[in-house]
Amino acid sequence: MEVKLDKNYPLDVDVARAWATLRDIKAVAGCMPGAAITEEISAMSYKGAVKVKVGPVAAQFGGTLDILELDEASRKMSLRGKGADKGGSSASMDLVATIVPDAADPNKSTLHGEAAVIVNGKFAQFGGRMMVQVSDMVLDQFADNFRAAASALSAPAGVATAASPTMANSVSAAPVTPKDSDSINGLAIFWALIKRWFRGLFRQQH
Amino acid sequence: MNAPEQTLEAREAALAGMGQSRLRKEDARFIQGKGNYVDDIKMPNMLHMDIVRSPFAHARIKKINKEAALAIPGVYAVLTADDLKPLKLHWMPTLAGDVAAVLADEKVHFQMQEVAIVIADDRYIAADAVEAVEIEYEELPVVMDPYAALKPDAPVVREDLAGKTSGAHGARDHHNHIFTWDAGDKAGTDAAFANAAITVKQHILYPRVHPCPLETCGCVASFDPVRGELTTYMTSQAPHIVRTVVSLLSGIPESKVRIVSPDIGGGFGNKVGIYPGYVCAIVASIVLGRPVKWIEDRIENISSTAFARDYHMDGEIAATPDGKITALRVNVIADHGAFDACADPTKFPAGLFHICSGSYDIPVAFASVKGVYTNKAPGGVAYRCSFRVTEAVYLIERMVDVLAQKLNMDKAEIRAKNFIRKEQFPYTSAFGFEYDSGDYHTALQKVLDAMDYKGLRAEQAAKRADPNSPTLMGIGLVSFTEVVGAGPSKMCDILGVGMFDSCEIRIHPTGSAIARMGTITQGQGHQTTYAQIIATELGIPSENIQVEEGDTSTAPYGLGTYGSRSTPVAGAAIALAARKIHAKARKIAAHMLEVGENDLDWEVDRFKVKGDDSRYKTMVDISWQAYHQPPAGLEPGLEAVHYYDPPNFTYPFGIYLCVVDIDRGTGETKIRRFYALDDCGTRINPMIIEGQIHGGLTEGFAVAMAQQMPFDAQGNLLGNTLMDYFLPTAVETPHWETDFTVTPSPHHPIGAKGVAESPHVGSIPTFTSAMVDAFSHLGVTHMDMPHNAFRVWKELKARGVAL
Repeated sequence: MEVKLDKNYPLDVDVARAWATLRDIKAVAGCMPGAAITEEISAMSYKGAVKVKVGPVAAQFGGTLDILELDEASRKMSLRGKGADKGGSSASMDLVATIVPDAADPNKSTLHGEAAVIVNGKFAQFGGRMMVQVSDMVLDQFADNFRAAASALSAPAGVATAASPTMANSVSAAPVTPKDSDSINGLAIFWALIKRWFRGLFRQQH
Repeated sequence: MNAPEQTLEAREAALAGMGQSRLRKEDARFIQGKGNYVDDIKMPNMLHMDIVRSPFAHARIKKINKEAALAIPGVYAVLTADDLKPLKLHWMPTLAGDVAAVLADEKVHFQMQEVAIVIADDRYIAADAVEAVEIEYEELPVVMDPYAALKPDAPVVREDLAGKTSGAHGARDHHNHIFTWDAGDKAGTDAAFANAAITVKQHILYPRVHPCPLETCGCVASFDPVRGELTTYMTSQAPHIVRTVVSLLSGIPESKVRIVSPDIGGGFGNKVGIYPGYVCAIVASIVLGRPVKWIEDRIENISSTAFARDYHMDGEIAATPDGKITALRVNVIADHGAFDACADPTKFPAGLFHICSGSYDIPVAFASVKGVYTNKAPGGVAYRCSFRVTEAVYLIERMVDVLAQKLNMDKAEIRAKNFIRKEQFPYTSAFGFEYDSGDYHTALQKVLDAMDYKGLRAEQAAKRADPNSPTLMGIGLVSFTEVVGAGPSKMCDILGVGMFDSCEIRIHPTGSAIARMGTITQGQGHQTTYAQIIATELGIPSENIQVEEGDTSTAPYGLGTYGSRSTPVAGAAIALAARKIHAKARKIAAHMLEVGENDLDWEVDRFKVKGDDSRYKTMVDISWQAYHQPPAGLEPGLEAVHYYDPPNFTYPFGIYLCVVDIDRGTGETKIRRFYALDDCGTRINPMIIEGQIHGGLTEGFAVAMAQQMPFDAQGNLLGNTLMDYFLPTAVETPHWETDFTVTPSPHHPIGAKGVAESPHVGSIPTFTSAMVDAFSHLGVTHMDMPHNAFRVWKELKARGVAL
């Protein structure tokens, strides 16, 4: 089944740091709960793994991650990930991620992501109805981690709040340890979904 | 020796014969949990089988690694197509003249297809081992839509058929094309349309649904290597045909193959076919020399065993301006899934779909059905209906409504105008069916009066005039004719075996009896009703008659129970076997009473000498005499076998009316009233008929209002658990009102026609008719099923009437 996502995550960091984090594929992977880059084939091509457990289905996807486009000028990255699990699920994702400057505040920016995710096999059969909600949760965790990773970078020169004048693109982003480092935690997601559902109920009533 | 005299009425009542609401013999054991279903069967040294299934709808199998599974303690074997190849059992023939993979051979064709089997000490170990079998797939493009499947560049579903330009039912013109089957008069129909004053056209989807019996499929196969005998307990609606097929496939003589259908928890067509699980369990038992049990779980049942329907229909009607139908034209694209495994009589790849001229006197008609392969599970069985009759009735009943709407005529009026009249029977339809009997006008009037149809229409008009009405009110009306009791062997066969059925009756010396049948009950109550036929025919109380079915070693050969054929075919075999015994009994009675046979009258339970009520012999007297001292020249014993080949189908009919109230805020539909009048000819047990009708209506309600098998574009089935797939319980089921008329079948020995499927066939279009009727003033002519709240709410929004 296919899920299309279009998300904006406001960041408390400037464009340069945000972009530096985004273009470092290992850092990005580190922000994704349960994901890791296992092998670098080239600067544009990697092997990786993602562990997911939702409801009755646990999967360990192994696959490839290819950067299709890396546009420094518009701070846009396109990538395609593909993976399969031994237990009979497969997934692919086409993602276009962009760092958008904040017109009002140079210390802020927005991470914009558009993704088409196709999930196939057991995951689609048993987890299908949760796909959108789970994706939202996973991406929220990713965004939190991403913010933390980007904030951890030293601010580039030219920005009023910068503590040190390091060039942004020379920084190797060191991601903070993700909160859920092992795998996407089914129970945590479940609780988050329930909380969200309740919030939704109240929102509708007011 | 004669018992004290009783009145005639008391003697009749004591028989509990035909026409009496005798309580079901079966229920005592079922309600006490004493049934004997296939999963209740446990044999010494029995092993358990589980199946590794494809997660993908279309993929090449690159590698199968069994090692981790085989390393689990308690696992005996992991078998794949490569292991079955030397036995030539990796593919098997289907009932429709195609072949189906037993275990996927090089590629998988649909999600949940069988890829490997695991045999282990218990079910849990087997399930763990299934998880441990590692399979590497290369995913292929899928084709889920039958129209897309016919495009030139569509993915090839069946590579094994490459280059085959003809199949079991004629020419193939595309790699995903199975057959094209035509019925009726094309030229005549086209001409009638060309000259027609009025024509209407409607695309109608009958979505894919699943029969979903409460008990899933399964078997226990037990091969005795010493005796060379194979016994298989199996959830089969047709055990005798299974025995023949197993013998042909395995090479074991049919005399050494025994198939037993024990108690069956519902079939509804799902248990007619032969599934890979059965074949694999049998092979495993032969290879290992131990009994092997295989029981499906619910997800496997819904995902991989036979579905029903999936007919994409285009209907057209030509008519005069005053609503007289002059022609019918139908084109169907039939999605058969990856293998053509429909269970239809051999000559009819679209079953009896050509009953689609319905209850109407239509001068000329033409139907064309095109079967198509897609990456879905195979099936296309008759889900609680005669072969494709549900689709046919849905088509014609929707089309007559569409025509009525176009002409602004009332639904009841247009039906009455086009009905085959009582005096026209026997009536030959434009498609060549010979309808045996019917009286549609009387039945229609009875329903309209009972429901105050005019009053309902007035109420509806008032609701429509009120913009603040919280509901939309709809009235559905359907007048269906079924064709059941397949069938005359000159027209109907399965794998070459004529579709007769059989009965063997033995009267014991003390006057009780056993009847053995070629059919098999799955909830129909055969043990109750068959005994009632014999009771009436032979004057033996029902309570003293045992009915046995399902064991091929004891029962006479029969084609089984589906398509409402038990009463029309086996019921006739019973009556005629009983009449053979009756004729012999008359000879014995004449001998005992020392009179000529013609001097005897039959009365309820005895032969009596004409004009002298005191001189008679009951069946008890006669039975004893048959074994004690039969007349000279007459064989001892009192038994008979009859194989009944019906001269024609039977044609039960009914008029159904339904009133719905649709909540304009939520799209929720309340079935306010549902009135079902059925005419199944002679009624054997009114209580069982009513139960059958309640069951059929409830399943029809499920199909029309909620059941669906949603696939995504990648071929994943997104609703294969009972969390998604709707099975109605007492909570959701509406209240049913039933009624009847009796128009006996003239060619059936007791005039009975069969009933269990009518309510399913008839109710589904009635619900749709009511739903569309609620929207008809807004220009809606048709709405596809299921009519669940979300879909209905979307329609309310689209038409601007949602609150």
